Amino acid sequence: MLETINLYKTYKGENVDYEVLKHINLQINQGECVAIIGKSGSGKSTLMHLLACLDDPTSGSVLFEGEELSQLNEKQKDLLRNHKFGFVFQQFFLNGRETVFENVVLPMRIRGADQYDLTKSAMEALEAVGLKDKEEKRAKDLSGGEKQRVCIARALVGKPQVIFADEPTGNLDSGTSESIEKMLFQLNREKGITLIVVTHDIDLANKCERIIELKDGEIVSEK
Amino acid sequence: MKFWDLIKIANRNLFRSKLRTFLTVMAIFVGSFTLTLTNGLGDGLRDYVDKQVKNTEGNNVLFIRKKFERRNEQLNPDEPVEYKEKSQGEAGNKFDQDAIIISQEQIETLRNQLPEIKTITPRYWMKGEFITMNNAKKYRVFLDMLSEGVSQKVEAGKTIDGANQILLPLDIAKAYDENLNNLIGKTATVAYRVNEKTDEIKTLQLTIVGVSTKGMMTNFSSFVDSETAKRIYEDQNQQSDDFNQFSNLTLQLKTGEVQKIAEVKNKLDELGFSADSIADRQKRAYDGVAILQIGLSLFAFIALLAASFGIINTLVIAVLERTKEIGLQKALGMGRRKIFLLFSFESILIGFWGAVLGSVGGIIVGTIVNIFVARTYLESFEGYSIFVFKPLSIFLVMLLVCMIAFVAGVFPAFRASRLNPIEALRYE
Repeated sequence: MLETINLYKTYKGENVDYEVLKHINLQINQGECVAIIGKSGSGKSTLMHLLACLDDPTSGSVLFEGEELSQLNEKQKDLLRNHKFGFVFQQFFLNGRETVFENVVLPMRIRGADQYDLTKSAMEALEAVGLKDKEEKRAKDLSGGEKQRVCIARALVGKPQVIFADEPTGNLDSGTSESIEKMLFQLNREKGITLIVVTHDIDLANKCERIIELKDGEIVSEK
Repeated sequence: MKFWDLIKIANRNLFRSKLRTFLTVMAIFVGSFTLTLTNGLGDGLRDYVDKQVKNTEGNNVLFIRKKFERRNEQLNPDEPVEYKEKSQGEAGNKFDQDAIIISQEQIETLRNQLPEIKTITPRYWMKGEFITMNNAKKYRVFLDMLSEGVSQKVEAGKTIDGANQILLPLDIAKAYDENLNNLIGKTATVAYRVNEKTDEIKTLQLTIVGVSTKGMMTNFSSFVDSETAKRIYEDQNQQSDDFNQFSNLTLQLKTGEVQKIAEVKNKLDELGFSADSIADRQKRAYDGVAILQIGLSLFAFIALLAASFGIINTLVIAVLERTKEIGLQKALGMGRRKIFLLFSFESILIGFWGAVLGSVGGIIVGTIVNIFVARTYLESFEGYSIFVFKPLSIFLVMLLVCMIAFVAGVFPAFRASRLNPIEALRYE
């Protein structure tokens, strides 16, 4: 479903160019659970950004369902991210002043969904993460684990095909991490949502079906 | 994102930093408050002018006078004009009467050259002595002529349409009978002095056809028809040096068509006359009000200009504060256009709230001033309020302020829309 062909990403420096990603070829199938691991600076986040259509490669291509992402215009990319992808970030990026409900429905609001769809999908997503009774609470009043569950609900609300999780447990204690991990894997298993986890946590990576290890912008191992 | 959602979210975003928004709104408030008041002042004046000049009507009438020809010597404001000795017979430094007096031959020329003319009435000056009815009280009377083709708005009865008729001013009419309609058709006796030096007084019996609506000229004057006016004028001026020398004429044309009137005006211009229709006179009065209003509004615009920098400042800070939020919105598929719109709405809303407060504040202050001033200074100006607030003017002020706010928001909104989502999410 997601495929990269000879992907390169170079950042222009003052004297030297930094090759962040070199010669990346990979294929991710529908419903897979993939971990991208590597030390900081290995290029794993950049790879995720390219896969998630948040950034453009310097050369090579990313294909989603056979379609080359670089061929899409700005608007089509926005639509693709909104409809097909969900995002979970380490720092949550919740709007603390707004209610849990408002945070969760943001992708649906951006999509322009009507009130019925909006409420229905928000309720389903909140139920899936077990926060149905907290929809009216302000996001800032939640605990770290609850916040990340709100983020998962937000990633889930638009019924995406792929969820990108960038260090989803990076800010959480081990007990909370475990429940968040469980929740993500459950979504992957039960709803068939492709899960792409970017992490430097080997324990989390080991729970995934596939591990892609990056070092200095290159794939060094794949299992 | 839906349009209405964008507006709601923009409004919520504004109230996140209440103090900052409030202060920015206050700056806009000052501008729109001033603009509301200057507009109210202009509308008040225009209303007053309306009441004054709309009193006379006549779409086929032109008032003409000779174009005043400048004498050859150029007047240089930086140099004093030298006095020149002239021999007798020459005009010298004395004002040349011929420059403004329209001679009988010229009137004949007009009649021959312009077949469109129906009547020509010179401006007859009269001096009335008193007016009375059936031996009732005598009142001082100021006589004025209503030229052929001009009609006067009336409170009762109708305007003059024949000989030996008179229109009374409201005050005199009320002195004779509170019910104005009772006066219509009755006879009034108008007296005038035949010669300034003697005490010889003549009287005329005139039919009251109506009572004039109040206005600039009609507060005191009684109007008579042109035939009566001519008679009085001849009685009073026969012996005078400048008998039958007129500087102002009223032309009544056979047509009221705008295009024909323009043609006649052109011809008159070639013949050396300047011509004004009633509409031209009204327009000049309105132009005066408009110029005054623009002058006053300038202050409001300066205030709004200063306030719009406040909006820019507020929004630039908001964009910085919300960089991560914008990054997230973009990552979740919110397009550049929508981000631009979101911030534009925020700036328009700042303008909108400022305009609402400014208009309401302006109306309140203006109304208080109206009440206060009506009680004290303006008692003699009947029907004049200093500030008149019209819904359309208020709406236009609001629209204008919102537009200014929108323009101010373009730069920050554009910056927000161009943010790179990855960098924005990483922003500390």
